[in-house]
Amino acid sequence: MSGRTRAGLASARALVQALAYLAPSLLVFAVFVFYPLVRNAQLSLYDTTPFGDLSRFAGAGNYAELLRSGEFLGSLRVTVLFAVYTVPAGLVLGLPLALLANRRMRGIAAFRTAYSFTIAVSIAAAALIWEWMFDPNVGILNYLLSLAHGPRIGWLTDPHWALPAVAATTVWQSLGFNVVVLLAALQGVPDELVEAARIDGSGQWAVFRHVIVPAISPALFFVGVVATLGVLQSFGQIHILTQGGPVGATNAIVYSIYRNAFFNFRFGLAAAQAMVLFVLVLAFTTLQFAVFERWVSYG
Amino acid sequence: MGIKVTRRQLLRAAGAAGLGAAAGQMRVPSVSAQTPVRIAFWHAMGGNLGETVIRAFVNAFNASRKDIQVTAQFQGSYDDLVNKLRASIGSSSVPAVSQVYDIGTRFMIDSKAVVPVQNFIDREKFDLAQFEPNILAYYRVGGRLYSMPFNTSTAILYYNKDMFKQAGLDPNRPPRTFDEIEASATKLVRSGATRSGITIAIYGWFFEQLLARQGALYANNGNGRDAAATAVAYDHEEEGARILEWWARMVKSGAATNPGRPTAASQRAFAAGQTAMTMDSTAVLKSLLTQSGGRFQIGTGYFPKPPAAATGGSIVGGASAWILSGRPSVEQQAAWEFVKFVSAPAQQAAWYVGTGYFPVRRDAYHEAVAQQTLAQYPQFLTAISELRSSPINRATQGALLGVFPEARQKSEDAIEATVLGRKTPQQALADAARDVNQAIAVYNRTMGAK
Repeated sequence: MSGRTRAGLASARALVQALAYLAPSLLVFAVFVFYPLVRNAQLSLYDTTPFGDLSRFAGAGNYAELLRSGEFLGSLRVTVLFAVYTVPAGLVLGLPLALLANRRMRGIAAFRTAYSFTIAVSIAAAALIWEWMFDPNVGILNYLLSLAHGPRIGWLTDPHWALPAVAATTVWQSLGFNVVVLLAALQGVPDELVEAARIDGSGQWAVFRHVIVPAISPALFFVGVVATLGVLQSFGQIHILTQGGPVGATNAIVYSIYRNAFFNFRFGLAAAQAMVLFVLVLAFTTLQFAVFERWVSYG
Repeated sequence: MGIKVTRRQLLRAAGAAGLGAAAGQMRVPSVSAQTPVRIAFWHAMGGNLGETVIRAFVNAFNASRKDIQVTAQFQGSYDDLVNKLRASIGSSSVPAVSQVYDIGTRFMIDSKAVVPVQNFIDREKFDLAQFEPNILAYYRVGGRLYSMPFNTSTAILYYNKDMFKQAGLDPNRPPRTFDEIEASATKLVRSGATRSGITIAIYGWFFEQLLARQGALYANNGNGRDAAATAVAYDHEEEGARILEWWARMVKSGAATNPGRPTAASQRAFAAGQTAMTMDSTAVLKSLLTQSGGRFQIGTGYFPKPPAAATGGSIVGGASAWILSGRPSVEQQAAWEFVKFVSAPAQQAAWYVGTGYFPVRRDAYHEAVAQQTLAQYPQFLTAISELRSSPINRATQGALLGVFPEARQKSEDAIEATVLGRKTPQQALADAARDVNQAIAVYNRTMGAK
């Protein structure tokens, strides 16, 4: 009896201790995440004045307006497409670069720096660089195309090309981060493991497929999740390159939220969109954990 | 060859202007000389030149008076500035005076957070006789001047005279109607002088200007000037569809290039000699002259209108200075002193030759820097002549709409959908009108606008 009480006391003490350690981060989360989340949920149920004050209770009115508006459904579609264009491409391009950078040779530091330098480039700067390259008249892309007698493409003004163009900018900018994370993981793969596989007669591909990929699978998973979360919240490159156009082809959801809240002064509507985005991100992340984490070996 | 008026000359002009003004306009009882009244001036003039000239104005003003110290604070784009202003209204961070773009006028009035400059004008019988009547007509609402026009512009046509010569067109006679522009652009492309006859950015302001050039209203209730607008008007008129038809037809035939929405792209194309004509604000004249680096001659012409249109004209664009009521009255008075200073002839002349925005008052043209620049670059006269030749009526006064930023964006959607062949002009304008009318209804309801 007394033993159990003592155990209970001990666990209560442990709980208090844990809470004490967690308090600073809980406080920060409460102020900057939980409270705004609750207020945002409230805001989404109201009509608002252009100053952001609650004007009148609208119930599900804002949500109903979203579902009725083709623009919102279009922005959902664009957001999902954007993730599909960028996340796999970032992994598929990042991994070979990381493998190359993982070689041991003279001067490799220069290559490592080159492959990962975009981590130091802000998305706004990246967008400005690419905007020049995309320029239909004076940009280098169309110049190269003209050398090959190709057509002149309105990269940012043709609805078919605009989203791929913004995605290319995003992939380029995110490559640096991907390379850094994957390279770190590759360097953590024990040499004995690779050597043992070689001695057993495995070829390059088999070693890569059955030794290296499983060994770095936590990093691959991490990059995938982080990239998805990031891409679902993309804003800067869209704001700079296309402002959501042409004809809504790049009107991803965060950009649409920005326009409604800080340009159209429709805070209630924007809050409702933000709630939908929240659910979307939650669903995506849950899905990733449910489906892909099975292949991750933390051993 | 760069421009003859250097930045240093410009700053000197601005500085001299400050000293001149110091002698003239002082002695207002409510601003005493003991501890200086400190006020903030918010503005959206980014870029090297804009910020440099504004800083020069502020320094000159501060040097000229002991009783007031102004701090200029750059707030980003016009849109960003209005956002920050909106957030600051009702709080202690509201500035004493702020620049706000033309289309923010209705919102600023409805915010009830401003002091109309008319109050100060009446109190000290400030003389507006030298001010351009077309400019005052835009900023007067219900007969009262709410804000002081500061940087004013209209949209004009820019063309490459060398390409015109090459194509066998008269380089001294810019096309003036929709038909002439289309014919010239087609000829320019056919002759091989250029691949692109005209490059027009998808900018809602151009649509507004092209409506006014035809004497058509943008919104009901006299462009929102007889009573608060409740709907846009362009979906019922033929003038709106006529603009979109013309625009889309030229893009389709290859006479015109669509550079997307940012005017930066069309400016780049024009300055790089990749297109023979472009439409833009007169405010980019200086920048185009510099960017093109004298590689070709730049001609300027009036903004076009359809051949038949007669009663139309241009709307003044740009921004004005607003005095906020959230500050104590001594600060409001200090803000007024600063507003008077920046609208004085010397500052307006310095601003004019530095940018291309034209002066808000006529006597600014007598200033030496203005005379010098006009002698060398007559292009600086086009915009103001265009404005002065515009009759003043509800169409050319421009629309007042609380949701103008959103409305402008919706008209850009309509232009884009038409130019890309997704919608007919009528359908595109009807869709835009439906969205904007809904936004107007929400605005009028939540703001209690009548």
